[in-house]
Amino acid sequence: MQTSIKNTLLVWLLGAQLTSYAQYTFFTPEGSFAIEASLENTDMVRLPIYRNEITSLSVIGDYIVGGTSAIEGKSPFVFTASLESRKMTEIKDLEGIVEGQQRIRSGFVKSDKGQLFAGTMPQSSSTSGHLISVSLDKKKNLVVKDFGTPVIGEGIYALTSDPTNRVLYGLTYPSGYFFSFDISTKKSEVYKDLAPSGKVRFSLEDHFSVTAEDYLSRALIADDNGLVYGSLPYGVLFYFDPKTKSLVKTEEELPEVWGRRSLGQIHCWVKTSKGEIYGANRADGQLFKLNAATQKIKNLGKPIMMTGLAGLAEGGDGKIYGIAGGYPGYGHLFSYDDEDGFVDYGNPQFDMVEPGIEQGIAWRGYQMETIAASEDGKYIIIGEAEALSQLMVFPVK
Amino acid sequence: MYKIIEKQMLKFKRIVRARYVLVLALSLSLCGWSVVFGQPKITEKNIDFVMYPDFAEANSTWGDIGYNPVNNAVYIGVTNHKNKIGFYEYSVANDDMQLKGFVNEMAHLRDYQWQGKIHTKIVFDAGGKVIFGTDGGESREEYLMNHPQGYAGGFLMSYDPRTEKITNLGVPMQYESIKDVDVDPETGKIYAISYPQVHFIVYDPKTNVQKDYGRLGSAHVPRVIFTDKWGNCYYVDWRQRLVKYEKSQDKLVFAKESLPAFEGTPGGFIITGITAYAKDMGSNKIYFVTYGAKMVELETQENGIGQIRDLGAAYDLADQPLWKPYIPNLNLGDNGKLYYFIGGHGNYVKNNTSVLMELDPATLKKRVVLEFPTTEVSEVTGSDIKDKSGNLYFAGRKIQPKSKDTPESLPSIDDKVSIPFMIKFNPEKNIK
Repeated sequence: MQTSIKNTLLVWLLGAQLTSYAQYTFFTPEGSFAIEASLENTDMVRLPIYRNEITSLSVIGDYIVGGTSAIEGKSPFVFTASLESRKMTEIKDLEGIVEGQQRIRSGFVKSDKGQLFAGTMPQSSSTSGHLISVSLDKKKNLVVKDFGTPVIGEGIYALTSDPTNRVLYGLTYPSGYFFSFDISTKKSEVYKDLAPSGKVRFSLEDHFSVTAEDYLSRALIADDNGLVYGSLPYGVLFYFDPKTKSLVKTEEELPEVWGRRSLGQIHCWVKTSKGEIYGANRADGQLFKLNAATQKIKNLGKPIMMTGLAGLAEGGDGKIYGIAGGYPGYGHLFSYDDEDGFVDYGNPQFDMVEPGIEQGIAWRGYQMETIAASEDGKYIIIGEAEALSQLMVFPVK
Repeated sequence: MYKIIEKQMLKFKRIVRARYVLVLALSLSLCGWSVVFGQPKITEKNIDFVMYPDFAEANSTWGDIGYNPVNNAVYIGVTNHKNKIGFYEYSVANDDMQLKGFVNEMAHLRDYQWQGKIHTKIVFDAGGKVIFGTDGGESREEYLMNHPQGYAGGFLMSYDPRTEKITNLGVPMQYESIKDVDVDPETGKIYAISYPQVHFIVYDPKTNVQKDYGRLGSAHVPRVIFTDKWGNCYYVDWRQRLVKYEKSQDKLVFAKESLPAFEGTPGGFIITGITAYAKDMGSNKIYFVTYGAKMVELETQENGIGQIRDLGAAYDLADQPLWKPYIPNLNLGDNGKLYYFIGGHGNYVKNNTSVLMELDPATLKKRVVLEFPTTEVSEVTGSDIKDKSGNLYFAGRKIQPKSKDTPESLPSIDDKVSIPFMIKFNPEKNIK
């Protein structure tokens, strides 16, 4: 056991009385580490407080690429960190590139040319969300470009791409419009057919006290045939057929815990290297598998007791890694595969070594918002959503 | 009969004398002859132990002690570390310790709102109301959560000494314990720190408005917050940099540099922050000790972090790293000197011995003034508790090994008998 981990364990035991029976065993695999991404009042490359929730996350080669969300009235950042050097390398304030934006929460979508695309959410309803592209130049500096507004007056809540990675598909906020965006022509088309009606909104908001954040699909995914899936209010599965350019409401619904259908909402999707599609219902944190041929859902169950399952990523070992649970509790890292089923790793706790804390300190993940795999599948990266959010990385065996 | 008593007295005097010799020898080794001859003697007559009546199963206290100048009383929360917290008032004038009731009953808690202990210090608003927070105090608080036996979350509470009633001020964060509180005497706003997610919270009891400033720590929750004379509140981040809630701006201000630490201090000791403090309100100085056993002086200012002065090691006589001593208590005497007990949680600078230290922040001279076997004093907590007469107070605990003859009824922690009591100490007066 590393000295710092030993010391941390000692501190835990010393710091709270009667803890000798506590389950203070954290997920701390060999080779894991945390990167200090956020810190106030520093000259180092760090994100400032309240503007650093890591709500979009991807990897280009050695570089972790993140997009953040800020509190009301503040703008978000795009940043990079190096896996090899285990440190933050650059931050870029979105203000100055796209004005008046608050959140980059759509996740990143990789284009056929290797750029990352994301959608933004504006600070006020009087402005609109934008599509942005993020890439690295030859010196590995961040290049962020504004691709404009696909739907005026709307933010971009969810984003994915077609199998060729040349067309983006998104869902807007707060109206829930579906749109397509051709990257080369920068032309968008909007489909409003399945946007929640006033009657449905009233029912959800008045009877069940949920908001658009709770009933609009938080993620979209395309299957190998190009159908794009998401959820409608009450957890109903829909898809967009690009051949007919139409939205289809299916008979299929997300796995339900009885009585909680009104909370049904896609929280995240992942498509594996084999083309299999896994998704999660935010209502109760169920993982499911979508059969793209039959458009049927198989409920795989819940990895932990809490609700929510914010992210999924495929590791190089073929397992799916995910983050389940969260506020008002705290999230757990888990894995799933057909052989072992669910394995709950609990709270990850990784060593953070940075200038000024060279001896290393233990960083424990509570509110984990995003998860991504490196391009070679050797690393899983977790992004936090805290007042001062950090990156947590562990190698996949 | 008289002879027996006389013999016992003689024996007692010998023991006391032997202890004085021991302390003197230690003091000499620490400070040298010239210094010791200039020091007033501190003997066991300067210290008193006060037991908590009417709660036989009580086995512990934490930093949950404070002095209320409005009614000249010390308040302590005493726990069985399970489901009962005895709420005690010590009347300084009457030298009388009284159980005022049990918190779960006084605050009308239901079974699912069980509380393990009060971990916070006990503080007072300008009108003399007693403010504190509650804590799960058990491993199940972190892992069972919304299980039927899980932990609902810690409460903020206030107690009015005039009506002897507790007002329940609610749960700041679901499932989270409250590790420490302080109060802004001007506005009455309560500052709190949560466990395990290390959130800094400001709550206004007048308006019932709460603001969560988010997570400030790493894998461990630094246990201590404190305020300055303007009502600003101080905490630390994971780099052990001071974080100040500046009330005039309603924002957090972070120090650029970390607090002083000894070379080689492990990260686990850095992230644990400050363990105790004492204020010199006259000079706006706040003294504190870190988990890495550094004594530090902070000269506060209304805006900005203020000036930091490194006062050196809390203890430098043991054959162990300077960062290792464990000091979860600190008081400032009317003589301007700091007093603190070293030891606890199995971490002692002398085998099975707690030592009481004196440090003069003006000269940086320090000495051991008393020492106790852990069967008499095993662990001491409490920050900045001084009455109008210059008496200092600490929450103490003693542990004793169990034998087959130890009655089951004695309170225990793990495999040892554990008995809490209050320590009253005056470095300048005999109080026995």
